[in-house]
Amino acid sequence: MTKNIDITLKIWRQKNADVKGGFETYHASNISIDMSFLEMIDVVNEQLTLDGKDPIAFDHDCREGICGMCGAVVNGRAHGPEKGTTLCQLHMRHFSSGDTIVIEPWRAKAFPIIKDLAVDRSAFDQIIVAGGYISVNTGGAPDANAIPISQEIAEKAMDAAACIGCGACVASCPNASAMLFTGAKISQFALLPQGRPEAALRALAMVRKMDELCFGNCGNERECEVECPKEISISNIARMNREFFKAGLGSAVM
Amino acid sequence: MNWFTNTFGSSLGKKLMMAVTGLFFCVFLVLHLAGNLTIYMGKDVFNSYAEHLHSLGPLLTLAEWGLLIFAVIHISSGLLLFYQNFKARPERYAVNKRAGGRTLGSATMPYTGVILLLFVIYHLFNFHFVDKTHTTIFQIVSNAFAQPSYVLIYTFAMIIAAVHVSHGFWSAFQTLGANHPKYTPFLRGLSLVFSLIVGIGFGFIPVYVSLLV
Amino acid sequence: MQLDAKIPSGPLSDKWDKHRFELKLVNPANKRKYNIIVVGTGLAGGSAAASLAELGYYVKNFCVQDSPRRAHSIAAQGGINAAKNYQNDGDSIWRLFYDTIKGGDFRAREANVHRLAQVSNHIIDHCVAQGIPFAREYGGLLSNRSFGGAQVSRTFYARGQTGQQLLLGAYSALMRQVAAGLVTLFPRREMLDLVVINGQARGIVVRNMITGEIESHAADAVVMCTGGYANVFYLSTNAMASNVSATFRAYKKGAFFANPCYTQIHPTCIPVHGTYQSKLTLMSESLRNDGRVWVPKTPGDKRPPNQIPESERDYYLENKYPSFGNLVPRDVASRNAKAQCDLGKGVGETGFAVYLDFKDAIKRDGKDVIAQKYGNLFQMYEKITASNPYEAPMMIYPASHYVMGGLWVDYNLMSNLPGLFVMGEANFSDHGANRLGASALMQGLADGYFVIPYTIGGYLVGMDRPEVTTDHPAFKDAVHYVTERINKLLSINGKRTVDDIHRQLGHILWEYCGMSRSEEGLLKARKLIQELRGEFWENALVPGSSEDFNQSLERAGRVADFLEFAELLVIDAFERKESCGAHFNDAYQTEENEAKRDDENFCHVAAWEYKGDDTAPELHKEPLVFENVELTQRSYK
Ligand SMILES: Cc1cc2nc3c(=O)[nH]c(=O)nc-3n(C[C@H](O)[C@H](O)[C@H](O)COP(=O)(O)OP(=O)(O)OC[C@H]3O[C@@H](n4cnc5c(N)ncnc54)[C@H](O)[C@@H]3O)c2cc1C
Ligand code: HEM
Ligand code: SF4
Ligand code: FES
Repeated sequence: MTKNIDITLKIWRQKNADVKGGFETYHASNISIDMSFLEMIDVVNEQLTLDGKDPIAFDHDCREGICGMCGAVVNGRAHGPEKGTTLCQLHMRHFSSGDTIVIEPWRAKAFPIIKDLAVDRSAFDQIIVAGGYISVNTGGAPDANAIPISQEIAEKAMDAAACIGCGACVASCPNASAMLFTGAKISQFALLPQGRPEAALRALAMVRKMDELCFGNCGNERECEVECPKEISISNIARMNREFFKAGLGSAVM
Repeated sequence: MNWFTNTFGSSLGKKLMMAVTGLFFCVFLVLHLAGNLTIYMGKDVFNSYAEHLHSLGPLLTLAEWGLLIFAVIHISSGLLLFYQNFKARPERYAVNKRAGGRTLGSATMPYTGVILLLFVIYHLFNFHFVDKTHTTIFQIVSNAFAQPSYVLIYTFAMIIAAVHVSHGFWSAFQTLGANHPKYTPFLRGLSLVFSLIVGIGFGFIPVYVSLLV
Repeated sequence: MQLDAKIPSGPLSDKWDKHRFELKLVNPANKRKYNIIVVGTGLAGGSAAASLAELGYYVKNFCVQDSPRRAHSIAAQGGINAAKNYQNDGDSIWRLFYDTIKGGDFRAREANVHRLAQVSNHIIDHCVAQGIPFAREYGGLLSNRSFGGAQVSRTFYARGQTGQQLLLGAYSALMRQVAAGLVTLFPRREMLDLVVINGQARGIVVRNMITGEIESHAADAVVMCTGGYANVFYLSTNAMASNVSATFRAYKKGAFFANPCYTQIHPTCIPVHGTYQSKLTLMSESLRNDGRVWVPKTPGDKRPPNQIPESERDYYLENKYPSFGNLVPRDVASRNAKAQCDLGKGVGETGFAVYLDFKDAIKRDGKDVIAQKYGNLFQMYEKITASNPYEAPMMIYPASHYVMGGLWVDYNLMSNLPGLFVMGEANFSDHGANRLGASALMQGLADGYFVIPYTIGGYLVGMDRPEVTTDHPAFKDAVHYVTERINKLLSINGKRTVDDIHRQLGHILWEYCGMSRSEEGLLKARKLIQELRGEFWENALVPGSSEDFNQSLERAGRVADFLEFAELLVIDAFERKESCGAHFNDAYQTEENEAKRDDENFCHVAAWEYKGDDTAPELHKEPLVFENVELTQRSYK
């Protein structure tokens, strides 16, 4: 059942944000095809460590495709070639012996490199700080079943809420735009009755913050929705646009 | 005025202006094409269409100014967006691979746009800013297309226009927030059909005229 | 020292109300004057930081991930319990309380568990108000599913991503307070020491994981919500960064560690398939609602599952436990899976797996219904194993998953060190010897949203504290200690990688202190751990420098703590000479091989006090008093 492969890796190495980086080549042999991509890097790192070299830095935590911590551009594809899959859930059975795999960090002005493949995505947090919440204090909520919400709406909101904040949308967007991420959060709350009271304020504030952080602009190229590991749809970007125009032109919110 | 600049100066505001002006151009293209197609009915019909158009007088001037303003908006927002997008990724990827979302049209919008701009200027100098007192519009057109280089340039430009609107048309709807599981696939199809109409409709005219003379 | 749990007097149902009334209040205008450190941004930490800031306290919030949204709670799949009784199936606060106490094999405090059940309903209300898209029925009302250890349907869920949605809810509340200026976030910071001044917890020392800088932070109170230590087993379902370091540092500073041997092995995980494996993936327990667990009747039967006829399959859970069937609690399900594999009936390449079969459910409900319920779990399973659960049964095996043990806390969730509050998985309080599914999320949020906002006020106004800053010598000492330790790690320069040593530690614990334990095994484990620890400090290889983003160094520090902590775990397991819940000592079992408690001698919380690196820890017992439930032999037959 198990099979092993030999591969060549070209990995982006960069000491920190202030110095220039470049590619280094490594050979990984006897890689079991049942390994996850990150386990493969673990194996390479073990060897680098034993050889007295600096192991490759990469972010990861849950290794189940839910925390959104991992991510790299593999052969030009964010999170690698599989659809709906984070890097940690990508398995080596999708590669063949003899392959050369080029691994690069997310590249965007708003995501400066920390080291090697690890980048700083705190810009996403800032977008949420700008308005990605419903303003309810603990304690005052009515009964959970007080407001029925149709299953269809709840499911749509859930589709949008499934975003793991990994940044693959930005990484794969030819324009390094964060509109899928922002659109998903604005959509989740715009769809639900609980989120309506602040919808206008939220849409304006979050979009403005996103602009301020130097993300690019959506060109409706749809690369993000294809690469998104949670398959968030660009219909959420359209909804964000509607919410923003409604708020900017139709509401009294400045 | 703060809310105004805040709204239109934002990324989405610029996109909104792109979409509205772009769609306006699409309407313009349809009208322009409808007019131009009269050339297939012979030179008299074509000339009289041109005369009718010019007899609109101030209305026409208004439309021309409108087009100009819209062009300035479309082009300046487009270039600004392009510049910002470029700056948003200072270091490029070594390996670029499409995931399957990008199309020829979407990947080339700024470039096809700039070519269109150059073409429009060229086109206006050919057919618009010319002395028409001693000649008919058909004469001007057929003189021009007697030269193969004109035919080539015009046909090429029309292919470029087709590529631009193949993405631009549906993209404008998406930008305006019109996305629906039932209708978006249809719009995407329509976008392609529209680009074919533009490409073939306009593109064939120079060839046709060159064959006439 | 007598441990005082500070349980309020009076009838069980009135305790919390009475206590809230008796707790002193902080004048609203004064709240801003208090600085509170919250370590952790999971369900417990995120909700605590947000609610404390909502009250007006000034909060500093720390986590090791790059964003608070990525705390390990994000991975919880199945759901969260509440006693809403929306299904009209006989649920009540009392029943949730009783199920949880019983599920924990009568090793938790009545008062804490009852409070948990009481506030459970408010959690759901609050989460819905936050915009969490829980699953709903067509009519628009909330939907429920069933979970192990309960016969009512009380679990609320958001697809297979409940933890994610609850955490994003807490995270959004937290970010709202960041916007309000009341919470300052410190992501990518690892807590490396607790600072105790005059016996009170007054601050922490952290390492900035990007620059390597050692930072000191002082406060009026420290709230630790740093999660569980299941990674002591190396392979577990926990996130890679989950650690014992924060709580272990606090233990070394005088906080008592309670019941470290209560570690939960989850029955439904994807089996191990290679030495390179870095973690195990949980398949939500909710799968046992519709999946049927079986093994071939004859040991060594290597036929593919589809070729084994119905008559030759052993649905051992259904046969043995007719009333709970596949939904027995986790410890019971895990032990039975192990027992079947030990009999040679295990399946798969390694023989360490049992089947979880959806064939009948698909036949009954149709593929669509099953896909709607479990689609994303099936997808995840297929991604990892390249086998399609709609066609072939899943293979599952138990894995280390959750820990009931943690720092000792009283009814106010304060440890024996005044000013140190501990919440969520990091404390020991609510799940006794075994946690029921969907109740860790409930506990984390109960602690953070609905308990700490009251109890911290009582502490802040109830106890005098001197003014301290980070210039205090205690901070200097802690920084010195932390720096020394880092330098020591970097200078070992041996030949074995830290992961390699950690893997070996995991083997030792899994072998001798896992699903079943024996006295001689534990003695052996203790020796092996001591040896391994010795080897670590002589032969580990930690590359890089301290002033850098150095993930190897981070891991080394955590493993060094695991190596010390593992011994405490084993000691506790050794001292508890009974079986209860997830702690199963071979020598103490009923005729039906169930855990056999010794209520006479072990109906207590074992709280361990650190006495020095070379001295054995001291055991303090907090007797558990049951006034409202009768201690029975758990039966799920
Ligand atoms: C795969 C899986 C599925 C689960 N499913 C369910 C379920 O369906 N229902 C249920 O009820 N429970 C479930 N659980 C259990 C539940 O998810 C956890 O017990 C719970 O989320 C723990 O929350 P917490 O807030 O206590 O800690 P965590 O979420 O673990 O958060 C710990 C926080 O502390 C921080 N931290 C840790 N160490 C340090 C340090 N040294 N310095 C600084 N910060 C630190 C981390 O950065 C993090 O922010 C599941 C667990 C797993 C592993
Ligand atoms: C007949 C002429 C033209 C038509 C019909 C047209 C139409 C459109 C349409 C419909 C869009 C889509 C807007 C959206 O995505 O929301 C668009 C986008 C664009 N156009 Fe044009 N356009 C024309 C000329 C030009 C010219 C002259 C330029 C100039 C330089 C240009 C540059 C662009 C660019 C860069 C975009 C992409 C903007 C983005 O999505 O970021 N276009 N066009
Ligand atoms: S929208 Fe998708 S790609 Fe973007 S951050 Fe969210 S999950 Fe990642
Ligand atoms: S490591 Fe959590 S999503 Fe990949």
